[in-house]
Amino acid sequence: MASLKRSVDSDPFAANISSKVYVRSTKSGKVQKIVREVYLRQDIPCSSRLCTSCLDTAPRDAAGRPTPFVLSEAPAGTSVFRQGHYLVPDTNAFLTAMDLFEQSSAFYDVIVLQIVLEELRNRSLPLYNRLISLTKSEEKRFYVFFNEFRLETHIARQEGESVNDRNDRAVRKAVAWYGQHLARTKAKQVPAVVMLSNDRDNLRKAKQESIPACSLAEYVKQLKDADTLLDMIPEDQDQEVVKEKRPGEPFYPEYFTMSKMMTGVKSGLLHQGIFNVSPYNYLEGSIRVPAFPKPLLILGRENINRAIDGDVVVVEVLPKDQWKEPSTQVIEEDAITKDENADAEETGDIVSEKERKALQEEVKRTHNKTTEGHAQPTAKVVGVVKRNWRQYVGHIDQSSVSQSAQQGRKQDTVFVIPMDKKIPRIRLRTRQVAELVGKRILITIDAWDRGSRHPTGHFVRSLGEVETKAAETEALLLEYDVQYRPFPKTVLDCLPKEGHDWKVPESLEDPGWKDREDLRGLLICSIDPVGCQDIDDALHSRPLPNGNTEVGVHIADVSHFVKPNNAMDAEASIRGTTVYMVDKRIDMLPMLLGTDLCSLKPYVERYAFSILWELSPEADIVNVRFTKSVIKSREAFSYEQAQLRVDDNSQQDELTTSIRTLLALSKKLKQKRLDAGALSLSSPEVKVQMESETSDPIDVKTKVLLDTMSLVEEFMLLANVSVARRIYEAFPQTAILRRHGAPPKTNFDELANQLRVKRGLDLSVESSRALADSLDACVDPKEPFFNTLVRIMATRCMMAAEYFCSGTQAYPEFRHYGLASEIYTHFTSPIRRYADLMAHRQLAAAIGYEAIHPTTRSRGRLEAVCKNINVRHRNAQLAGRASIAYYVGQALRSLKATTTEEDGFVLKIFSNGLVVLVPRFGIEGLIRLRDLADPEPAAEFDAESYTLRTSGSRDLAVELFQKVRVRVADQKDEATGKRGVKMELVSVY
Amino acid sequence: MASSQHVLLSPAELAYLHASLSLTPPIRPDGRSPTQFRPLVAETGILPGTNGSARICFADGTEAIVGVKAEVERTAQRPGEDTIFLEEGGVEGGDDADGDGEAREGVDKRKGDAAWVEMTVEIPGLRDDDSGTAFLSAMLSEALLSDGEFAKRLWINRRFHWKLYLDIILISPPLSYPLPLLSLTSHLALLSTRLPRLKSEGDEDPFFDDDWAAAPYLYPRTTPTTTSSTSPTTTTAATRPPITLLVMAVGNNIIFDPSKEELTVADVALAVSVTSTASSTSKPHTDNADLKEPDTEAGRNLRLLSIRTIDPPSRLTPPGVANAANAAYGANNGAATGATQKMLEAQTAETEAVEGVWKAPRGGAKRRVLGALVQKVLERGGVVDEVLDALEAVDLG
Repeated sequence: MASLKRSVDSDPFAANISSKVYVRSTKSGKVQKIVREVYLRQDIPCSSRLCTSCLDTAPRDAAGRPTPFVLSEAPAGTSVFRQGHYLVPDTNAFLTAMDLFEQSSAFYDVIVLQIVLEELRNRSLPLYNRLISLTKSEEKRFYVFFNEFRLETHIARQEGESVNDRNDRAVRKAVAWYGQHLARTKAKQVPAVVMLSNDRDNLRKAKQESIPACSLAEYVKQLKDADTLLDMIPEDQDQEVVKEKRPGEPFYPEYFTMSKMMTGVKSGLLHQGIFNVSPYNYLEGSIRVPAFPKPLLILGRENINRAIDGDVVVVEVLPKDQWKEPSTQVIEEDAITKDENADAEETGDIVSEKERKALQEEVKRTHNKTTEGHAQPTAKVVGVVKRNWRQYVGHIDQSSVSQSAQQGRKQDTVFVIPMDKKIPRIRLRTRQVAELVGKRILITIDAWDRGSRHPTGHFVRSLGEVETKAAETEALLLEYDVQYRPFPKTVLDCLPKEGHDWKVPESLEDPGWKDREDLRGLLICSIDPVGCQDIDDALHSRPLPNGNTEVGVHIADVSHFVKPNNAMDAEASIRGTTVYMVDKRIDMLPMLLGTDLCSLKPYVERYAFSILWELSPEADIVNVRFTKSVIKSREAFSYEQAQLRVDDNSQQDELTTSIRTLLALSKKLKQKRLDAGALSLSSPEVKVQMESETSDPIDVKTKVLLDTMSLVEEFMLLANVSVARRIYEAFPQTAILRRHGAPPKTNFDELANQLRVKRGLDLSVESSRALADSLDACVDPKEPFFNTLVRIMATRCMMAAEYFCSGTQAYPEFRHYGLASEIYTHFTSPIRRYADLMAHRQLAAAIGYEAIHPTTRSRGRLEAVCKNINVRHRNAQLAGRASIAYYVGQALRSLKATTTEEDGFVLKIFSNGLVVLVPRFGIEGLIRLRDLADPEPAAEFDAESYTLRTSGSRDLAVELFQKVRVRVADQKDEATGKRGVKMELVSVY
Repeated sequence: MASSQHVLLSPAELAYLHASLSLTPPIRPDGRSPTQFRPLVAETGILPGTNGSARICFADGTEAIVGVKAEVERTAQRPGEDTIFLEEGGVEGGDDADGDGEAREGVDKRKGDAAWVEMTVEIPGLRDDDSGTAFLSAMLSEALLSDGEFAKRLWINRRFHWKLYLDIILISPPLSYPLPLLSLTSHLALLSTRLPRLKSEGDEDPFFDDDWAAAPYLYPRTTPTTTSSTSPTTTTAATRPPITLLVMAVGNNIIFDPSKEELTVADVALAVSVTSTASSTSKPHTDNADLKEPDTEAGRNLRLLSIRTIDPPSRLTPPGVANAANAAYGANNGAATGATQKMLEAQTAETEAVEGVWKAPRGGAKRRVLGALVQKVLERGGVVDEVLDALEAVDLG
């Protein structure tokens, strides 16, 4: 009987065929054995420009050209490999030190083996994506070599060999082959092919097989700026040594296995969610899980168990006797763990003495409580499903730097305090402490094992001196994950070739004019903030013979320039929104479009997307029409200019009257909205005034509200609502809309209680109308700001508005709570928001202007886009606010007399401190008990009546909503090197 | 049932065959000794996509392929005794899940269910609901499941188990009764079957190692002694899948692995299912590697699983008629003979064996014969040992 199996002897091609066997577990629980045949070939090129033989055999494209070779013919050398070298890193090298490979000073001509790439993808998707983008960059010269498919470098797994060993062997084999292969070229100087690995065993075997190999550290030492680069190698390479050093008890409980967690989550005994840290107390986290309406509390280091803000974790609910109230104390990590030593931290228990003390007070307070019912369910983290670690901006804690490290070059361990208060301090080993102290630095977390109280990380790069404008702005952009790199060439290639000379074609026969209405004759003007360059919208109005008014809103026709699915569209969809910082704007679209071709600048013709209503004198819509158009704006006003013009009765020209008509209509529209229950909410907004030349901040002004602002706002809202109706009608499943969910009543519990206790006011939250009315009723005749204060606090109880795809929600859920509109979308700012651009495309399709592109119709893709832009939108807001906060601090500094006395209001009250809002600067500050006087006054906190009474060194009684006088100063904390606004309580009104 | 198609042998030939098989020692048409098997060729791993597969080819040209596929299946929960609490399941060590069986019988919590094995038999030319096919499949699964030990191997934890699909295909026409062939092929396929290595513990949702090379065998093999000095001990103490052998008795002779022709003259034909279990010494399994005693006797413990009588085709063959009674040879042409004589003659033809005349056996198998057959099968160092050793030697690559 002849065997059915393929045998090497009988089959002449057997050498070219191999197979790969593995077990695949599918999501649905199936477990399959998978056998893949591998067809080996010999025409996979080495891609070295030195090699001619590969060039002959390399596969060619349809035009008969081979792909250009990547690896340089004269690669850089190091102190050891003077003849030049190619690098072949193994998987661990990429896993541990991807930052190194992204350096521009070294790491060129790298051969990325297929096996390494695959392994990397399995281990870490973000790192894989970073490597892929490296292989795409032309200047770094990274080449992916398909070693598994090349006959010479393919190896079969041996009996009893582990997968890792086999892969290591494959790497060595490829390195060896490259060496031999290059030696055969007739180059004068054959570069060395060097394997990079941190695996000792692999290095040892390479040595035996006399394959050139280095560990990462060895290799980096051969380079010029070794010290900087060495810091980027995470320390876990000498973990073995470290482990031996401290055999002590691990600090944290072990995580459950993945399968145990998944089983638990499925059966409903464990819960999965995203871990959030309280901004006031770093030892208190919360997690919102689908099973419960309210988030679960996670208290204390041990329960938090190495989770970091943003991680997807699995928690277990603790027994009822461990349920607690959320802390009424402010606990800041800096203050409590200030004196820890980064090197010798591993003594004693996981909870340091001071932490324990803080906890005791907590317990005491809970026990004093008469009402038991207040205790909230708590939980502990039992495992992490997905780490959402990113790169963090921070600075080195000066107190953790030892004196010797300041001078020497020896490696030292220090703490880094991240800018984000929710992130714990990170242990960092570096050789350049002296240089890095006082700098904003970018670091990543490598690991957090059970034996270490703090996570360990490594240095990525320095952003510059702390408090320099450039460094701080970049830090903010990094913290909020704003894409601020210049637009790549592929994106710029999508711009019109004419550049700034682009004009609306003169001939009406031009395809650009197809289906466009000529509205150049209308008296259109735009009203925007001072200095606005990206003018999205313009307006006009004119009386109609029947007594009604025609009102037009004209929006920049961005979708004409940004076609779906090209590089520019992709980039814009990733950026999602333009980010406004105080001194900088990070554009969503390239400058050429944003500030010129799309911008509805005055006196020039521009493409626009127009919405034309016929409004009755009562501002009811008689009919509405949408059309693509060509307009010519007559004037670009600032709000102030427009206001002056309207108020100036001597101005009776047509343009001014039309603005007055719009203003009158807008007031009626607003009244209608308010009648329907729209909320007028508030957030403290300020504006930083800059010196025009140095752009140094000199003063802070609160924003003044003008009628003209409200004018523009009302018509934009009207446009958005009209468009939302139209696209929903055309695309019931895929319209891109914006909703604002009604906040759960429980969100207002705290505020309602506070108002009742302190002011005897009633907050009814049944509907937005009821809320609006009761907010209107919240007035303190003595204190005009009180109403705004309540509105600010109410705003914080709201849900965030979000973009969504109409098919994902039921119609009643479309409602925009804040605007009291049944349906809403964003249409009016396509230059700075991607959602508007999508709405433009959908509307264009709805009115039959163009066919709808598949990506604008695919629900899956739209959902992904919505998810991204929701995140981006939020980050942009946060970044903008953080930027203002920073500049307010700077402005305070330049207000000479480093201290200023201002009025403030108590926004929050804790047993050991209070949060004060200063409306003049739009800032909040924390005043701790110990800041009140020295020694710290004794305090009595009544949580029921929100009153804090101090006695002893200073007698005070502070309560919620109270107006206080505070001294505001810009202060630098010497210990942490952190600068912030510091408030001091001067007196209580 | 008819165990094979009609054999085209004349009554005289049948009688001759019967006579020669009744001799001591019997003379078989192909010259084999009574306990000798037909030569066969076997290989495993012929179907790369399966968890285990084998192919066996007999010298007469019959050939079978067996493929084993395993799927994870949720065990139906009966409320009550088996209700699982996660707490409990999560804590206790689940390391008894890798199937190293009987040695820890006393603490074995695993439970099996016959529904966990699904067997299909395909015989060319026969419908799958043909009684012959159904009977074959029933016999094979009976052997596998009768003692409940096999299904236990498919236990993952209290909530999950492996569902095993055995596809048994005869790829040649059924030249002889295919039972032994199918059984041996299934045995070999099961020997080569591997299940992915379990990584989760306790009653969690199972989670498996993605490395196929790490997948353990369904029937774990004892680690072969690597020291080359000891002779390669082929016998191992481990439990093996059952085999079903066809044994027949002719006269006083017991004949193994009868060919199609031999089966037509069998007095009794039995399908005996036997398994080999681990040595009854209650030594824990793990110690076996250190126990370096190559005593074959203690090694294998044969256990009888089931016996089925096979209806031999001999019963269907028409009896021969002695010349004297044969009308063709002129008997009874005179009408003078009385009716009584006719009756008498007919009786003689029925009861008395006449040399050279084929007479189909009548009646059931004698208990003594059955006993002897079983005895012979279970004999230590006998045919079963031989077969198991031979199959053991097949490379499982």
